[in-house]
Amino acid sequence: MLWLWILVGLVVLVVLLGVLGYNRLVRLRNEADTGWSNIDVQLQRRADLIPNLVEAVRGYAAHERGVFEEVTNARAALQRAGTPGQAADANDVLTTAIGRLFAVAEAYPELKASENFLRLQDDLTDTEDKISAARRYYNSTVMHYNTAIQSLPWVVVAKALGFRAKEFFSASGDTAPPEVTFTPAT
Amino acid sequence: MTLQEQIRRNRLRSTIVVFGFVLLLGVVAGLIGVALDLRLGIVALLGAALYAIFAMISSRRMVASMTRAQQLGPDELRPLRRLVENVSIAAGLPATPDVRLVDDAAPNAFAAGIRPRTSYIGVTTGLLRAMPKRELEAVLAHEISHIRNRDTYLMTMATVFAGVIALIADIGFRMLLFGGGRSRRGGGALVAILAVVGLVLAPYAALLLRMSLSRRREFLADAGSAELLNDPEAMGLALRRLQLDTTTIAYADTSVAHLWVESPTSRVESERRGVLALSSWFDTHPPLEQRIAALEESGGFRLPERLPADAPFSVELGLA
Repeated sequence: MLWLWILVGLVVLVVLLGVLGYNRLVRLRNEADTGWSNIDVQLQRRADLIPNLVEAVRGYAAHERGVFEEVTNARAALQRAGTPGQAADANDVLTTAIGRLFAVAEAYPELKASENFLRLQDDLTDTEDKISAARRYYNSTVMHYNTAIQSLPWVVVAKALGFRAKEFFSASGDTAPPEVTFTPAT
Repeated sequence: MTLQEQIRRNRLRSTIVVFGFVLLLGVVAGLIGVALDLRLGIVALLGAALYAIFAMISSRRMVASMTRAQQLGPDELRPLRRLVENVSIAAGLPATPDVRLVDDAAPNAFAAGIRPRTSYIGVTTGLLRAMPKRELEAVLAHEISHIRNRDTYLMTMATVFAGVIALIADIGFRMLLFGGGRSRRGGGALVAILAVVGLVLAPYAALLLRMSLSRRREFLADAGSAELLNDPEAMGLALRRLQLDTTTIAYADTSVAHLWVESPTSRVESERRGVLALSSWFDTHPPLEQRIAALEESGGFRLPERLPADAPFSVELGLA
């Protein structure tokens, strides 16, 4: 009789741990999804600024067709990107293209002084800062989520339950973010 | 130990501390019940709960008036707001906290609010005038970490709890000394002595708990700032700059001392040090030197002898 109770107790314990663990995985996955949508919002905002920027520069330097095309293509590639890795790559290409566009603008003092252009430039810088902030958050949530589903006991059942490892938002050339360790002095 | 483990450990500790508070509250009420009257103990407990709820609801306004933080207009200090936005995105907060300005020459900052959505960050004009962008961002990240780790919530609760325990212990003590003795039903001198000891010690225990809670959290928020910006040196530099600065905040209200990034009352406290040998236990903040050392060790860097002479952020803001 006693053994039966112990058995029941063990089963209850295992079920309880299972429920808690499962909920934790769901929470981590949701955090990563939120992190991704934060990046997505900023990428979209950046993409929305670009047509205005191209128009502003075109008004002064209509003959620089190659640069405009490059920027427009890079923007389209970013909006087509399906995975975080692809988006990060496309975002890097776009950054290079925008850099070239600004280099063209350097030759036109009137353009550089125009209020519209200055505001666009300011907004773009702000969006880039926000993308890198959102990326730090997203990558750390992905790291926690991936670690959780790749360690025991969840590595055994994670796939069957539909938990798949997520991709970092980092261009192919990037290295992994460094691990911060911390020891208090007390 | 990684930052995540540290955060988990600190969250566990603060849960224990909160349970400790509830237990202490129960003990004080129980002592009043045993020594005086059972009904009085229950009444004290209920009154304490009601007072706690009231204090939690009005805490947002209370903190604002105690720190004299001013709300900003929608277009004021946009670069500062952008910094706060960026840091709160990096922290994954559901909403960007408001920024409020405290007109004070001493460089300092605090975070307040019970939930992340209703939280706000206060910075002094002195902070904007002293810190270059990199260090200011580190200080803001420190405050955002307090909000992300739910420190502001916990510290508001701790402050309220400590106040409640001190209040009922005080009432109980007075009643025991004057006139309460008549309603005692036997039990004798031993119970009375125990009750007196318990009632006298309880407020100090509560205070100690509140302080230790707040000090541990400062280390955690420093580490959080280093993690959010991926730049532990920036926080170290900011702390060193605070250390070198000798201005004290003009209206240092001790009841909100634990909210600030650097203890606003530290100079007052150090004068008291000779009198009270245990005084470092009662500090709200660990010494800046210890916090810098912790950052140096975890980040693997040494602070330079001289602080960088970059232009303070107030130049970019166009503050007079």
